[in-house]
Amino acid sequence: MSIILISSDHYETCRAVAQQVAESTGYALLDRKILGEVASASRIPEPKILKSLEPSSSTVGLPAKVRNRALAAIQSAVMVRLLDDKVVCYGLAAHLYVLGVSHVLKIRILCKEEERVSLMATERNVGIEKARKLLKKQEAVQKRWSLDVFGRDETNPSLYDMVINMSQIEPDEAVNAIVETVSYRKFQSMTYSIKCLKDRELSIRVRLALMEKYSDVDVTADGATVVVRTKALRREKRKKTENIRALAGQISGVSYVEVHAGRDIFRQAAESA
Amino acid sequence: MAEGLEVLLLDDEPIVGKRLKPALAKIGCNVEVFEDPKKALERINQKEFDIVVTDIRMDEVDGLQVLEHVRQSSERTKVIMITGYAMMAVAREAMEKGAFDFISKPFKPDDLRKVIAKAAEALGSNIQSEISETDGS
Repeated sequence: MSIILISSDHYETCRAVAQQVAESTGYALLDRKILGEVASASRIPEPKILKSLEPSSSTVGLPAKVRNRALAAIQSAVMVRLLDDKVVCYGLAAHLYVLGVSHVLKIRILCKEEERVSLMATERNVGIEKARKLLKKQEAVQKRWSLDVFGRDETNPSLYDMVINMSQIEPDEAVNAIVETVSYRKFQSMTYSIKCLKDRELSIRVRLALMEKYSDVDVTADGATVVVRTKALRREKRKKTENIRALAGQISGVSYVEVHAGRDIFRQAAESA
Repeated sequence: MAEGLEVLLLDDEPIVGKRLKPALAKIGCNVEVFEDPKKALERINQKEFDIVVTDIRMDEVDGLQVLEHVRQSSERTKVIMITGYAMMAVAREAMEKGAFDFISKPFKPDDLRKVIAKAAEALGSNIQSEISETDGS
């Protein structure tokens, strides 16, 4: 079985294609409808959860800690649902954090540029040339967001298994191409790829739990072994390491925790200044 | 039902065969262990195995070549790839070339037994219950 992740430079186009692919394959559709549940489980208001997924050029965005915790909560919810297999997912930025899993088919849909310009002109009530400039600015913001938050440029085609330019392909043809491609054996799940997905699900679940207390943690998992990387001042290193080990050790599915606490040179410099 | 399930196990690390042979024998598999891929290929030419379990990274002949060889000689044989250097691209290539499953090392003998059970099922056998009875052995 497989998972299909669809992303696009235009949300509505992405949604339309994803819905048709889900209908054609019989797979479950995973989208922003889960954000209410994510909000309840994480105790972060739903508008903030939604805002964490929306790049903004404004300096008055979400504080980084809230944004990161909101995104971790989304990731955790998405990963759990992807473990069910036979899922079409869009609108949850999964293409930026579900990486290296062989039975995940990643699709990038490029919407017709003229259509996007025209939509922008209507939405903002501006002329075509102004809309074109606004679109370019929006694209730059979106690209910077993907780099800042996930360290990946979502416009890079090498991130995807298939890029479909809708200016040349009709929606039905795009859906057929996706449905046919996902049937290839290379996109079928196997013991290794399922383990990859389980490892990522556990690592984000542990990270989310630790983020309530420690926002600066990076977590990887291999089976039931979890490695946490963080930074600490020399005087707090031992206590922080023990706390993290204890917190992570309580999480279901974790049997061994390794903590690597590097020196927090920025806080150290700030304190010695 | 697993009685007589013929398995060829190929890994150039002797410890792998030493450890896995008894684990698979416990669920009724007849296991032939090879460390030299060339000798394994000769044996595959002589006999149609139900299941071939092969490491990927080996000198001279790699696991993907073994997979291709098995695919040419038997449609029916299920090939399970094992590797300590698992990567998405290799996993996809193996599946595209007809591997039944792909497991990354290290794994527990029971992990392989579960995959063998799936392969047996695909071959029309069922060794599910035998696995649960011998679990943790």
